[in-house]
Amino acid sequence: MAFEIDPSTPRSIVRRDFVKALTMAGLAAMATGEPRVVRANSEEPLVHPKPTADACILLWMAGGMAAPDTFDPKRYRPFEKGLAVADMLSTFPAINTSIDGVQICEGLENIAQILHRGTLIRSAVQPDLGSILHSRHQYHWHTGYVPPQTVACPHLGSWMAKVLGPRNPVMPAFINIGQRLEGVGESEELKAFTTAGFFGSEFGPMNLPFPEEAAQSVKPPQGMTNTRFANRERLFRQLIDKNPHRDQLSDYQQQSMLRSLDNAYRLLSSKEREAFDITLEPKEVQEKYNTGRFGRGCLLARRLIENGARFVEVTTEYVPFLHWDTHANGHETVARMHQEIDRPIATLVQELDERGLLDRTLVIVASEFSRDALMEGKPGSNAGDQAAFRGDNISEMAHYGLHRHFTGGSSVLMFGGGMKKAYVHGQTADERPLIAIKDPVTVMDLHATIMTAMGISPRTVYSIEGRPFYVTEDGKGLPVTQLFA
Amino acid sequence: MSHHPVLKFVPHVMPRNGIPPLRGLSWVCLAFAVWLCSPSTSAFAQIDFAHQIVPILRKHCMECHSGTKISGGLSLNDQAAFLQGSENGRIVDFAQPDKSLLLHVVTTDDTDFRMPPKGPGLNKAEAALLRQWIKEKAPWEPGFAFTRPAYEPPLKPRKVELPPIVNGRAHPIDRLVDASFASRQIQRPAGISDGEFLRRASLDLIGLLPTPEEYAAFMADHHPDKRTRLIQSLLNRDVDYAEHWLSFWNDLLRNDYSGTGFITGGRRQISSWLYESLLNNLPYDQFARELIAPPSIESRGYIDGITWRGTVSAGQTVEIQFAQSVGQSFLGINLKCASCHDSFIDRWKLDEAYGLAAIYSTRPLEIHRCDKPTGRMAKAYWPFPELGQVDPAAPRDERLKQLASLMTHPENGRFTRTIVNRLWHRLMGRGIVHPLDAMQSEPENADLLDYLANHLQEHQYDLKQTLEFIATSEIYQAKAASVSEESLQASFRGPRARRLSAEQFVDAVWQLTGTAPKKPDANVVRGKLDPSLLEATAQAMSATWIWGDSARDGKSPPANETLAFRTTINLLEVPHKAAAIISCDNEYTMYLNGKKLGDGKNWETLGSYSLTSALKANQPNQLLVVGKNAGAGNNPAGLFVEIQLIQKDGSRQHIGSSTQWEWSPTLPDAKGKYAQQPTDWKPAVKVPALDVWTQHTLQPAINRLAELNFDQDHMVRSSLVKSDFLMRSLGRPNRDQIVSMRPNDLTTLEAIDLSNGETLSTALDQGARSLLEKDYATTPELVNWIYSYSLSRPPTETELATALAALGDEPTRENVADLLWAILMQPEFFYVN
Repeated sequence: MAFEIDPSTPRSIVRRDFVKALTMAGLAAMATGEPRVVRANSEEPLVHPKPTADACILLWMAGGMAAPDTFDPKRYRPFEKGLAVADMLSTFPAINTSIDGVQICEGLENIAQILHRGTLIRSAVQPDLGSILHSRHQYHWHTGYVPPQTVACPHLGSWMAKVLGPRNPVMPAFINIGQRLEGVGESEELKAFTTAGFFGSEFGPMNLPFPEEAAQSVKPPQGMTNTRFANRERLFRQLIDKNPHRDQLSDYQQQSMLRSLDNAYRLLSSKEREAFDITLEPKEVQEKYNTGRFGRGCLLARRLIENGARFVEVTTEYVPFLHWDTHANGHETVARMHQEIDRPIATLVQELDERGLLDRTLVIVASEFSRDALMEGKPGSNAGDQAAFRGDNISEMAHYGLHRHFTGGSSVLMFGGGMKKAYVHGQTADERPLIAIKDPVTVMDLHATIMTAMGISPRTVYSIEGRPFYVTEDGKGLPVTQLFA
Repeated sequence: MSHHPVLKFVPHVMPRNGIPPLRGLSWVCLAFAVWLCSPSTSAFAQIDFAHQIVPILRKHCMECHSGTKISGGLSLNDQAAFLQGSENGRIVDFAQPDKSLLLHVVTTDDTDFRMPPKGPGLNKAEAALLRQWIKEKAPWEPGFAFTRPAYEPPLKPRKVELPPIVNGRAHPIDRLVDASFASRQIQRPAGISDGEFLRRASLDLIGLLPTPEEYAAFMADHHPDKRTRLIQSLLNRDVDYAEHWLSFWNDLLRNDYSGTGFITGGRRQISSWLYESLLNNLPYDQFARELIAPPSIESRGYIDGITWRGTVSAGQTVEIQFAQSVGQSFLGINLKCASCHDSFIDRWKLDEAYGLAAIYSTRPLEIHRCDKPTGRMAKAYWPFPELGQVDPAAPRDERLKQLASLMTHPENGRFTRTIVNRLWHRLMGRGIVHPLDAMQSEPENADLLDYLANHLQEHQYDLKQTLEFIATSEIYQAKAASVSEESLQASFRGPRARRLSAEQFVDAVWQLTGTAPKKPDANVVRGKLDPSLLEATAQAMSATWIWGDSARDGKSPPANETLAFRTTINLLEVPHKAAAIISCDNEYTMYLNGKKLGDGKNWETLGSYSLTSALKANQPNQLLVVGKNAGAGNNPAGLFVEIQLIQKDGSRQHIGSSTQWEWSPTLPDAKGKYAQQPTDWKPAVKVPALDVWTQHTLQPAINRLAELNFDQDHMVRSSLVKSDFLMRSLGRPNRDQIVSMRPNDLTTLEAIDLSNGETLSTALDQGARSLLEKDYATTPELVNWIYSYSLSRPPTETELATALAALGDEPTRENVADLLWAILMQPEFFYVN
């Protein structure tokens, strides 16, 4: 049988303050980084934590953003012919930020100015999956599960859509901006996690690959005027009314089809649909964001959140060997990426703050892993080297950059949504291997943190094919409590 | 004697230490409710029955309320007993969960009433879990029971005694259904009209709307056996049948034309084999045997599963995938739990899953429990030893053959029951065992299931016979029962309305609008080839593998060597049809008369190109191919081109790559042109064909060329093309996992795509344009045509009037497109009623 639940009471569950929900012993264990007891005690009812955020924006640095060239600068060596690869740690000099004593890379001046409004994690770590295929790590990051799995895993946005629902009934709960799913490399692999999986498509993403075309996706079809759209709807309703088989319409599923069509019409003719149109912003605001598709996506995300979206992802777009996926020309590509992300991210955070939305909106900047000039995977990895240039000393600019995938330590930024301000969590080594040496944060615990902030217990579980399926792997994720304000 | 006084009366129980209503959540819940009008039908719940509820019930209740013990008339042994309640009626109240008797007795302080009567009773956490579970309508694992033996399906086929004929309904299915209805006092639904029947049978059996012509012919036919003849004629439409059921099998065997795993070569299609098997209606037992123990590479993809790059968990190795797939596809049992640990919910054990996996494995397979090695090695094992056993010492191919014959053993009733249950679900909207992959649980009508299974076996495993058998029953031809939300899970009362699948919907749109793509993505021969034609084509094949001088005397050409090859074709007249088939190890780009025909980077994928419009008569036609070797170091390279020319009279001429062709190291520009003709053309060198080359190219080339000989009047079906945005939105799954049932309801995101998606609106626009070009005598005629095609009925007077008012006197393209849309969005269109 299918387990039916009553959607009107999706969380008929006791809420308690989430800190209370954790035992004192658990807290102590976490604080000291002791090995911890898994709390997946099946005889305890699920308690959702009190949310510190109502909405979430994930700014996805697709392709592997090198921490030493962005938010975790190490010893800088400028380009020179014959530079030893082993000497290449950062290819950008460090600059000061609005947090005393904390530096990030040159090129991120705008973010540097707002860093004090959030938390910088420098110790995110990922598993070494034996061989680096970006989409596998992206799958892991977005679903919390390492592929392959026996069931289709839901995206974290789908979890929020499923457990929390939309904030505004006409607004799709989960909106995914900037990633094409057709005509790009590894597109099938991208589709595998850009989905609600076993939750069903109701909780899946609304995909808006081009922010500037988003308005179109909630308008009547191309070339159809509003009047014609309304007339078509009227004709449809008239024909429903006059349908001789109206008796069939009492059928539950046929009724629900009509309701879905009704919902769609409401969105497509609602005021909220204007949220999808970034050209309605003042020119100067558009200009501030307009560093490219990603920047425009950030503006769109802000508008959608303002109008009640629950979860919005904006990606720099994953295309093999492009953008953050630097196998060659790393330094120059990253300099361009700095430009693309710096102003929009800073502006987004600032504007959310000014509008009083930042406190209840969790903004995350993350990537599937970091990069290193020398090391593939992490120390001891058997992952195959995928760098284009394999010499010991570089001879041209194209070799200057961090061209290998590194899973031992990466950076994640979090703003708002109950996270601490002006806080840096964890640390990576200053000399290679640049692994996390303090407070490592796994994908699982990062997820637990995000879900906890959103008011979803990391132990939230649904049963699929008789298997309990948890929002964090096997319900074991624990929020990193130090990150919370 | 009962010591359960509480069960003697029914109190109005107030929750004592219950959970207060959720005031703080109201806005979230409201928003959620409005957006999400329908609960999803997938199998999930907040409470996890197996891990959270079973332990509580087992600890506190089972001593007196399971197996043969039914204190107070109450058994909690299985779901049916639990729902039936005690001698005082139901013990749970889903409308007012807090008033459930069960909750009252486990929480009350009154020792006279409290359950369990002895011991400390339930703690608060346990009681809260029970409360939550009841609030969620007490989900129960299908088939789960506390005391063994729970229901265990019989392994062997079971003879069924047919009940007497009632009211002249002699069809065995109707006799069985009548008996079941009688015992449950269910009213038989009325029959459907001819038009409804035509639409239902056509969509169910071949996935297409009946055309207006078919509709008119069927309505004009007054023979009493016309429905049976229609069913037979639909099933005889081999291509249409194959292309409809292809989607069912692609889901069930997780085969697709693109998807995860292909990128790293970790996966192989079985499309050609599957298509051909359906086209030829391969008996199901043989079909299963060819999948489990593949006689050729063509059906291997199924058992080989998906090899992921990098490390995978022990529960997802290809060997374990094999066990899971074979268990699910053919037996409808779920071994996913058991491939990690002994299942909590059914009888399957870790060792059994590994035993099945070991049949496939060519390496010693260590049993892992929850991804941790146990130190024990798996031994090839078939989980139904009553039928025989696999010899663990035999070589792998032999073991697979043994498994294949055990699976299709005439005494294996599970094998036949599983597939007939799936077919019944497709035609009736609900399985006799439901969900379909819970074949371990008790069927709703065991006699019916067994009868269908026996019928399949008695008819040589011919699935079309089963479909015909079901479709000819009166119950199939009965009105769809309207189902309420509450009765979604209720037992069989007649056929249920089924939503058009993504493929059915898209095909229907293509039928109505004439916007089907020109070429399928699936590499299949869309029709049955006359064997003599295949033979003749095989005889006429003339191509040999060629390369340049570097391949002389059996030498291997260097990596990345790139050469140009050419030949000239002189024709007296333009052929009726012409095509070229090409493969090159490793890459090619082909040009004809200075125009690029195409390129290919994978020699395993045969390129085929129509030359019909590109060839000229009475002037030399220049064919130029740039071939490139790849790899590291010297390795074999070769080019294979076969050109077939067919004249109007059917005579054929073949031109193949040969030593008559010439090669040059001088390459043309990207457009295939030479600024200056090279002067170093030399005769091509014949290269001995590698076995793998022949395997991948020869037979497919023959098929493709033979295909040229018969005219294709079949519309390209959506099942043959890669999934696109619209189909994905409408529920065509990513076929990374086996899918046996798709969602039956339409979600809001889908509705948005249907309301403004470009794919659909473009198709409707083009369809409207071509409809208007058809020059209908009158607008009512146009409306009639649209109604009879899309709904297999004429419009009613009021519908016609509404449509005419919308179209106006001079219908525009927009008017017609909007009318099409408004009809496609009628539930009457979107559901097979």
